Amino acid sequence: MFSLPFKEMTFFKVKYLLISFILFFVAILVFVISGLANGLSMNNASSIINMPAHSFYLQKSAEGRIDRSHLTVDIEELTAKSEAQPIGVQMGAISRVNSEDRLDVTFIAVQPGSFLEPDRKDGKGLERGGGNSVLLDRSLSGTIKIGMIVKDARSGISLKVVGFLDDQTFSHTPVALISLDTWEKLAGGPNKSEYNGIAIKKSDIGLEKNISSLIKNGEWVEKDQVVKGIPGYSAEQNSLYMMLSFLIVIAVFVLAAFFYIMTIQKTAQFGILKAIGAKSSQLVKSTIFQVIMLTVVSIAAAVIFTKGFMAILPNNIPFIFDLVQIAKFSGILFLVSIFGSLLSVFNIVKADPIQAMGRVE
Amino acid sequence: MMIEPLILEQVEKTFKDGDKENQVVKNLSFGLKTGEVVAIIGPSGSGKSTFLSIAGALQSPDKGKVIINGTDIATFSDIDKANIRLNHLGYIFQTSNLVPYLKVEEQLSLVLKMANQWTKESKRKINEMLVAVGMVQRSKFYPHQLSGGEKQRVAIARAFINDPEIILADEPTASLDSNRSMAIIELISKIVKEQNKSAIIVTHDEQILPLCDRIYVMKDGQLIEQGN
Repeated sequence: MFSLPFKEMTFFKVKYLLISFILFFVAILVFVISGLANGLSMNNASSIINMPAHSFYLQKSAEGRIDRSHLTVDIEELTAKSEAQPIGVQMGAISRVNSEDRLDVTFIAVQPGSFLEPDRKDGKGLERGGGNSVLLDRSLSGTIKIGMIVKDARSGISLKVVGFLDDQTFSHTPVALISLDTWEKLAGGPNKSEYNGIAIKKSDIGLEKNISSLIKNGEWVEKDQVVKGIPGYSAEQNSLYMMLSFLIVIAVFVLAAFFYIMTIQKTAQFGILKAIGAKSSQLVKSTIFQVIMLTVVSIAAAVIFTKGFMAILPNNIPFIFDLVQIAKFSGILFLVSIFGSLLSVFNIVKADPIQAMGRVE
Repeated sequence: MMIEPLILEQVEKTFKDGDKENQVVKNLSFGLKTGEVVAIIGPSGSGKSTFLSIAGALQSPDKGKVIINGTDIATFSDIDKANIRLNHLGYIFQTSNLVPYLKVEEQLSLVLKMANQWTKESKRKINEMLVAVGMVQRSKFYPHQLSGGEKQRVAIARAFINDPEIILADEPTASLDSNRSMAIIELISKIVKEQNKSAIIVTHDEQILPLCDRIYVMKDGQLIEQGN
């Protein structure tokens, strides 16, 4: 029985090709936009997204924005507890020695060797003490090499580049990772210093309460919320996700309309098949089989196309091909087209073999 | 052996036409014998097609019995009626109504496959049937490559392929010229006699009547036999 829908598709090639092209292009658009949304998200906030932290203790009045939060932390009390780490975030600029060019960076200060220090890197790790070492995001490796000395543009303090990190950005600027000791020097403060927040590795109510009582005026904010609080992040992601949701709504209507019209066109044919003994259930099955075939082939082609598209995309357009997300959107599109075809099932069941006889009294 | 494969007993069918009730078939009784071709004529609107759709298990009557091979199907469900159509009835329509995307031989194999009658013998059977209707050279053609008469021959082959006891033809010659019409009815008649089937032909075409064994006129919802 399954050869029947197959023969129909090969006979009416053009009609079915057109439908699969629509599906194909809708799927490509969905995948590309989701890839761009991912790419922008990583390009914007990869330092926080990749941070193995569960939540952050931030100043209450900062409303979840880590760059606005300021906490006065007695570092001696905290470094003992390695599960909770102070973190400094400060947008700034660096310049090379003998050069006037300023490069925008975001300084992120962590305790060397703590869970906050990223492990993907070239070169050495951060040094404790007065070494003033710095690890930079790899996007700066074009102009700066390991071993170079860079200067903090504001304080003029020299920093020694000891390595590069993968995927470390904050608000679209590359991260310059420094130690807490260097952070204090840049801020010019004493031992009891100001940080942006305290990160904990995993949810721990006792620890959270302890820190809350130690440092007043703060609140615990989950990592996702901190990411959303990064300047520009929500605006970018929301506009792309709005496009995505509209696309999917459009896809529902376009596909439903297409499958519906296709079924209406075939009503007489369904009538004939019924008159010679086909059952409604067989016809419904064969229609849904066609839709599944079309959808699977089109979506698979779109996935392959998107993968190829990513390869030809210039490097300065951030694009991430996330298989899990692509699979999710494929699933949504698949369900949407099945849903669209189910709307026409009613017409298949209703198709009247008496009409096939050419006359109705 | 079943002498009368199709018997209708006091069948009634009423349609709602607005607020009016229109009784199309009234107290109709009819029997079809094996090996005969019966023609049914009558003005349009007299209930011919309704009669054919009730006899052909497409519609259920309001009252009365429809006995096909000894089974009363008057109250069968849609699925059971589909099975009756598949195994005991063959249809020939006004236009050939072939499936556009199937080759001539596939039109026939589809019916056998739907009826789960596909065996090793089926290919030979299809070939024999196509020989009988004179279409064996065209077995790899699609319907759009055939003339009207050729399509109707394929439709006849399709109606006979699953060995139905009863063939129901609704204006089978309406879209053909007179030479082809005669040939088509001769063909139906020939196969009916050879294979011991029976056929009901609803028609407007008076020239084919001499080829039929009995002629009925549909009038006021009843069938009246006409002497030759």
